[in-house]
Amino acid sequence: MATAALSSRFDGLRFAGVAILSLVALAWSTPLLWMAIASFRPQSFGGLDMASLAPNFRPTLANYVEALDSADFAGLYLNTAIVCLGILAVQLVTITLAGYAFARLEFRGRTLFFYAFLLQLMLVPPILIVPNLVTITRLGLYDHLVAVMAPYFASAFGVFLMRQTFRTIPRDFEEAAAVEGAAWWQVVIHVLAPLARPGLVAFSIVSVVAHWNEFLWPLMVISSTENQTLTIGLASFTRGAESASQWGVIAAGTFLVAAPLLTAFALFQRQFVNSFLFSGVK
Amino acid sequence: MHPLTKVASATAFALALGLGSAQAATEIEMFFPVPVEGKLAKEMQSLMERFNAAHPDIKAKAVYTGSYDETNLKTHAAIKAGRPPAAVIMSANFVLEYQIADEIQPLDPLIAADGKTSDAFMDQFWPALHGNARFAGKVWGVPFHNSTPLLYFNTDHFKEVGLDPKNPPKTWAEWSDAAKKLTKREGDKTTRWGLMLPSNYDYLGWVMTALDMSNGGQYYNSEYGGEVYYDQPSMRGALTFVDNLIHRDKVMPEGETDGKAVSTAFFAGQTSMVVLSTGSLSFIRENMKSGYGVAFVPSNIRNAVAIGGASLIMPKGLSDEQRKASWELIKWLTSPAVSGGWSRFTGYFAPNKAAYDLPEMKEFLAKNPDAQVAVDQLAYARSWFATYSTVAVRKALEDEVQAVLSGKKKPLEALKAAQAKAEEIMAPYVAATAMNLPK
Repeated sequence: MATAALSSRFDGLRFAGVAILSLVALAWSTPLLWMAIASFRPQSFGGLDMASLAPNFRPTLANYVEALDSADFAGLYLNTAIVCLGILAVQLVTITLAGYAFARLEFRGRTLFFYAFLLQLMLVPPILIVPNLVTITRLGLYDHLVAVMAPYFASAFGVFLMRQTFRTIPRDFEEAAAVEGAAWWQVVIHVLAPLARPGLVAFSIVSVVAHWNEFLWPLMVISSTENQTLTIGLASFTRGAESASQWGVIAAGTFLVAAPLLTAFALFQRQFVNSFLFSGVK
Repeated sequence: MHPLTKVASATAFALALGLGSAQAATEIEMFFPVPVEGKLAKEMQSLMERFNAAHPDIKAKAVYTGSYDETNLKTHAAIKAGRPPAAVIMSANFVLEYQIADEIQPLDPLIAADGKTSDAFMDQFWPALHGNARFAGKVWGVPFHNSTPLLYFNTDHFKEVGLDPKNPPKTWAEWSDAAKKLTKREGDKTTRWGLMLPSNYDYLGWVMTALDMSNGGQYYNSEYGGEVYYDQPSMRGALTFVDNLIHRDKVMPEGETDGKAVSTAFFAGQTSMVVLSTGSLSFIRENMKSGYGVAFVPSNIRNAVAIGGASLIMPKGLSDEQRKASWELIKWLTSPAVSGGWSRFTGYFAPNKAAYDLPEMKEFLAKNPDAQVAVDQLAYARSWFATYSTVAVRKALEDEVQAVLSGKKKPLEALKAAQAKAEEIMAPYVAATAMNLPK
């Protein structure tokens, strides 16, 4: 009796939980849903239907045709992919090594250096635009894709994340490897990095999403159309300060920009969620 | 000729050729923002191709740089980083800041090198545009595309409530009467507003300038970048007028309305009158389903609005070749034919007066008389406010006006606060200029 009552109350709670989560999920997905619907809506200003979520029209691809015609999307995709993967490749090396140093190596001022490193997280990126641009120009990298990537090669957040991840790994593994005669770099590559995989995956997702969506820095440092990234290409035909917006074209363009990330998420959903759970990144 | 001499001269000739082709084209970059809807970025690229084809010794590249504000940021950053672009299409009221910061060069020497006087050069452009381009005794910018605020109204709605679409409101009294007649209510709910004004940052400041100037005001000291007149009677009247339309007459929605929401509401017939830029004209012409008309912004004391739009400026730190090439580009972009074509494509009016003498422009205006209204209003247009730290000083007013629009503050207290904030922002400049007195 008592257990039955308890379990039915538990079911009730469970149901309420699912209902609340569904509402939250709906609220979060509404913009995406609206974007998808608006991108297939014929251009019209006959009423308020632009804001409606109900697809009460004959779908059209005209918005996509116009968006694709407005910018060289193939080039934009390629540049954005190069930038995101380039940054990530370097970052994975730097954050693993720096994370290892802060987690395992004993040296004077370790804590101080680490906190100094963390201070970077407090800086608002726009205040670094001018100094970074000066450095990039002196290096002769202005208007190169490398210039878009360079400021991000070292990531304070990534170093912090890897240091914390390494510290959760028992030293026994390393000691066993050391007994076998492994050098420190072999320990990092063969022991620590594989064990820290969830942390690395979580960081990769955050990094790729952030740089995929980045607008201001690429806009500052890139001048040639052929070196533009997706966000700038999108902005060049969807932003207008002094007139009404062609919401359909904006929605189609935004969809094209977001599509690769959405697809990747759909494909690797389980892995993404798992690594966030493991690494404690929310 | 001695064989050796022959070889030598051949080598010299080849070298000359080689050097010649290396120097053949001066490469220059121009930064440009995209201020209105449509494929302007593409149109700008094709303009560059035409320019380069006509000038084989120059290779100009147009660089898209975001909004007016982002273009401003990128230009300052590029100048500081030692990579100044050869030319920038810059919001006309930011030019003063570049002159104050000593980052752009006066164009008078280049004008003089063409054998023209600065007066004759500026005389090509509408007088209303001179204030933002030529100040402190020199020419700093060349007007590229410009706008003024216009009153757009739905002619179907006008007929429906017995107003004459041929005779739109000219005074504030007529304007507020029309707004009252046009507003439709069902119980407590308003189904159609009489009037909507854009009140997002930047647009709001521009609309308030227009209302203040129509009420006899100056808004700012056009001769000196350290003074604004936010708490004067002309501005108090203008803001009280708006406050009354919202909170007393209830013919305008409360709170902040984005410029895009205003035009969308106008298309949807949810508002009968709006104030928007001439830059919206092409877009409204193409998309408005019901009949519409355009008119001057109504006046209380006099007809007056501020210009908007952008000018071409030339940063310091360019080589002689770049300077010359940039000047060629600036002259070409502001020539009657190019200026006129860009105007028809965008909806902006052409700054170059001669553009309106060209047959294709005459034909266009005959077909689109609404574009003529924008040109006619130019006779009453004035300079756009430009001060030390223009954006912050403008925001000081906008934040307070938004508080009035949402019913949180009364006009007088809001304007006093705006004035105090603006003076605080301009204080360093004032201390270094007007209050920098003999010790």
